[in-house]
Amino acid sequence: MRKFLLTAGVVLCSVLASAQEKVTLNGYVRDASNGEELLGVTVLVVEIGNGVISNNYGFYSITLAPGNYTVKYSFIGYKTIEKKITLDKDIELNIALPEEFTELEEVVVTGESPIANVSSIQMSRNDLDIKQVKKLPALFGEPDIIKTIQMLPGVISAGEGTSSFFVRGGSADQNLILIDEAPVYDPSHLFGLFSVFNADIIKDSELYKGGIPSRFGGRLSSILDVRTRDGNNKEFEGEAGIGLLASSISVEGPIKKDESSYLLSVRRSYVDLFLRAANNDNLVYFYDINAKVNWRANNKNRFFLSVYSGRDDFSFGEDFGFNWGNKTATFRWNHLFSDKLFSNTSLIASSFDYGLDIEDPVQGIRWDSNLQEFSFKNDFNYFATPQFELDFGYHVTYKRFAPGKITPSSDESIFTATELQHEYALDHAFYLGAQHEVSKKLTMTYGARLSVFQSVGKGDVYLYENEKDNIDPVRTDTLSFISFEPIKTYVNIEPRFSLRYMLTESSSMKMSYNRMVQNTHLISSGTVPLPFNTWAPSSYYLKPQVADQVAIGYFKNLNDNMYEFSAEAYYKKMDNVTDFADNAQVFFNTDLSTEYRQGDGEAYGLELFLQKKEGALTGFIAYTLSKTERTIDGVNVGKTFLANYDRRHSFNMLATYDYSDKWSFGGGFTYGTGRPTTIPSGTYEWGDGYSADVITERNGYNLPAFHRLDLSATLTPKSNANRKWKTSWVFSLYNAYSRKNPFSLYTRVRQDKDGNTIGDGNEKEARMIYLFPILPSVTYNIKF
Amino acid sequence: MKNLYKYILFSLTVFFVSCEETVNIDTIASGPKLVIDGVLTNNSELNFIKLSYTRGFYSLDPNPAITDAVVTVTDDANNEVVYVHNPGNDPSKEGYYLPQTPYAGSIWTTYHLKVTVDGMDYTATETMLPVTKIDSLVNTIDLDEMEDPEEEGRFYEILFYAREPQDRVDHYLFKFYRNGRTLRDFEGDIYFSEDEFLGEAISGIPTAGYYKPGEFAKVEMYSISREAFIFYNDLSNLLNNDGGMFTPPPANPRTNLSNGAFGYFQVSAVDVMEIEVKEIN
Repeated sequence: MRKFLLTAGVVLCSVLASAQEKVTLNGYVRDASNGEELLGVTVLVVEIGNGVISNNYGFYSITLAPGNYTVKYSFIGYKTIEKKITLDKDIELNIALPEEFTELEEVVVTGESPIANVSSIQMSRNDLDIKQVKKLPALFGEPDIIKTIQMLPGVISAGEGTSSFFVRGGSADQNLILIDEAPVYDPSHLFGLFSVFNADIIKDSELYKGGIPSRFGGRLSSILDVRTRDGNNKEFEGEAGIGLLASSISVEGPIKKDESSYLLSVRRSYVDLFLRAANNDNLVYFYDINAKVNWRANNKNRFFLSVYSGRDDFSFGEDFGFNWGNKTATFRWNHLFSDKLFSNTSLIASSFDYGLDIEDPVQGIRWDSNLQEFSFKNDFNYFATPQFELDFGYHVTYKRFAPGKITPSSDESIFTATELQHEYALDHAFYLGAQHEVSKKLTMTYGARLSVFQSVGKGDVYLYENEKDNIDPVRTDTLSFISFEPIKTYVNIEPRFSLRYMLTESSSMKMSYNRMVQNTHLISSGTVPLPFNTWAPSSYYLKPQVADQVAIGYFKNLNDNMYEFSAEAYYKKMDNVTDFADNAQVFFNTDLSTEYRQGDGEAYGLELFLQKKEGALTGFIAYTLSKTERTIDGVNVGKTFLANYDRRHSFNMLATYDYSDKWSFGGGFTYGTGRPTTIPSGTYEWGDGYSADVITERNGYNLPAFHRLDLSATLTPKSNANRKWKTSWVFSLYNAYSRKNPFSLYTRVRQDKDGNTIGDGNEKEARMIYLFPILPSVTYNIKF
Repeated sequence: MKNLYKYILFSLTVFFVSCEETVNIDTIASGPKLVIDGVLTNNSELNFIKLSYTRGFYSLDPNPAITDAVVTVTDDANNEVVYVHNPGNDPSKEGYYLPQTPYAGSIWTTYHLKVTVDGMDYTATETMLPVTKIDSLVNTIDLDEMEDPEEEGRFYEILFYAREPQDRVDHYLFKFYRNGRTLRDFEGDIYFSEDEFLGEAISGIPTAGYYKPGEFAKVEMYSISREAFIFYNDLSNLLNNDGGMFTPPPANPRTNLSNGAFGYFQVSAVDVMEIEVKEIN
């Protein structure tokens, strides 16, 4: 490692030295209509046949010898702008790219599409075009990026109606889900029917499955990086959507034209109103609020503040209620130290909590659980030369976990007030990553992330006679720690490497290797996480989870970049994957550490992906062949078993077709091998007529295959020239051929329709739960 | 907590369109295994050891009874009691083993069970712990149930009162009877508790089911060991499993029996109280 850093240093110095007598062109690339910064715009200098890509904040910088240059700015969905520039000194040039369908005089339409798919160093990444997501059929008419993510190659879903996804053999808690850089611990509404991401405010979302850049860390399998829009800084604009289950409204506009803007968006479900109307005293609702303020003081300094709050609230009559929610806040300062050195400083807070209320005079309790984290991040981008770019930075996060607290709801309650011990952690990360164009054909990125994770006090660690005894744990001693006293420190180096080699003008090979380390663990033994699961940091007993992944891919653009094709194969080895003993008691267990079982995971697969991003017909076809296994001492008697979310084959297709100005159509088809589940090998009566199953093998049985077709049509009536607003209708048909897709399989004593036992209770039956039959829905959208 | 899963499934399946149906599964075949259902209490009438084999998932017959086993219980003073198969030759008691002369266990005594079937020995060891006394049972009207009773006339609820000793660790198992018949709210309900989060006053916890005046309500309260509590907890999780979507994957309950036998050898002190439900005007 030391040797590697030294090499990087030498390369950097030589690059710096050679860059002395050069000049720099830099600036931001924005959307001409609303001033939104554009991420990933290709800035190509024609004379040298080389260029850069605008960073995650829309900033680009390119350093060249003085001279006359032609610079092309191109981005999918936008017209390409070509500028003739005489570069005799450092120049600051902000570019506004018009969308493809608008007309502007300075635009030179080159008819050339970016070939980022092939030429970009990044592999195993998918961008989601939110405009396309909105045209796709959606469950209950609510567009949802997570449902689209579940269709991507290398991504598996546990079934419909959930917001969890499983990337390349990773479990649902191994995805880092970010909204404006702040982590979201539970992305689900209504137990996963929808995700917390309101489609109206999303600007850009990317899923990294492999070759993960060194600036990201903390979870094993993937990074979902969702960024919200900045708000229109040219004119006031609004949007409202009325759907079957939820409605949303968002407004945005300049505070000071071209300089500062705001965005406010609210979404709320109204299932509760229907239920109330139907005289049902069960209540269910959720909401999301996103607010953002953005201020460009000047080209050197930009600030923004983004806040999210979302909550779900369920109540069943007066007896029982539960609720959960996420809150995040991000304050960001982008600063240019020089034309070449871009910095991003963020202060981030994230919180997740849930509560349960049981209303009863004697058994009533209020149960609360929450966690918070606060981060300081300092990221730098150094644009040394067009061939060499450097990313480095430092992140520190303070985490606090309050796993559970019971408060009796009255004096007569049989329960006493109890609280599980809080846990605290400090998470430091230092990273350095270089992007280096070695030759026209070969580009590499190399770097590493140093993760220093400390479980800290205040807290007590119990020592056990046998730390794996989860039946009757006997504590032998207690180690007490004061505030911020380190309990355990884990240091891990995570090397990151990737390489791209151009085979021809339109095809390339890519390779990557990355190690990821995860120090926050979900305490859940089900397949799909619930909002009621708690999280715990790596600590005295819980070791960091580590994954090493190698991926290799072939990328090819066809038909003048009309089609993008990729084939990727990956192999991932995971150490210390967190699981729980058979029969683990993970709720409110004061000796939870005795239930931890960590072991090995292994996953491999092949992903084929064909995408069409341009033209009237756009969409993709994805096929994934994969296998995921775990071997964990104390789980399934130590025998290797298939992961709950293993699906051998997964085939997905999504398409949208713009038929006319008025009509566009969308369709989605998904097919997946049935998920493995655990079924009995026999049964027996015991005690007072209990009928228990004999379990011999975990996940030894496959549910029937999952497949579904969804269709949608979007009608945009001709807008009246005198009217300022535009309207559209989205008609969706979910599960068009009403396939009964298995959700879950369980067993019970045979019962008739009314729930009465048939016979003497000796007969058993297996029951399959199906969630959604054919479901039509309609959504009405207004833009003003 | 178990009810939480029910609520979650309920909210997913009732609020939204869903259905479930009986399906046939090709169960994995496994040979029959010994099932031991053993209870030893300080009340001689409640004691028995029942031996049988597991059966196929779709088998309609009861567990095949084992009638030729050798069953002994030895206490820590080395007094051995030999159990004999169905001494009363009652056809409904096939597979039941009882002591030649009925006897009651005593608290703080440790008992060793030994069962020999087909030359294989299965053993278990358990100590009888003291049980808390039931203070009283009180019948009261459940107004919600009276408005819309599930069964005609049955809307009386039995409330349970006791004082939980705070100076020792206890685990409890409850059984409820209506006119002598086992009563549960749901097929898979097991009523058991640990005392970790309980205060001293247990005043008026509703027991299972509803009654009408004149019916007899009986509560049996058993002391159980930590291991037995774990067994019942595991059994309850297994009986109420959703297949592993939200709940943990189903697993065999942990037991005090050796050699891979299913079931449990439970040793308990028991307190019983029965009342006749009185009409309230």
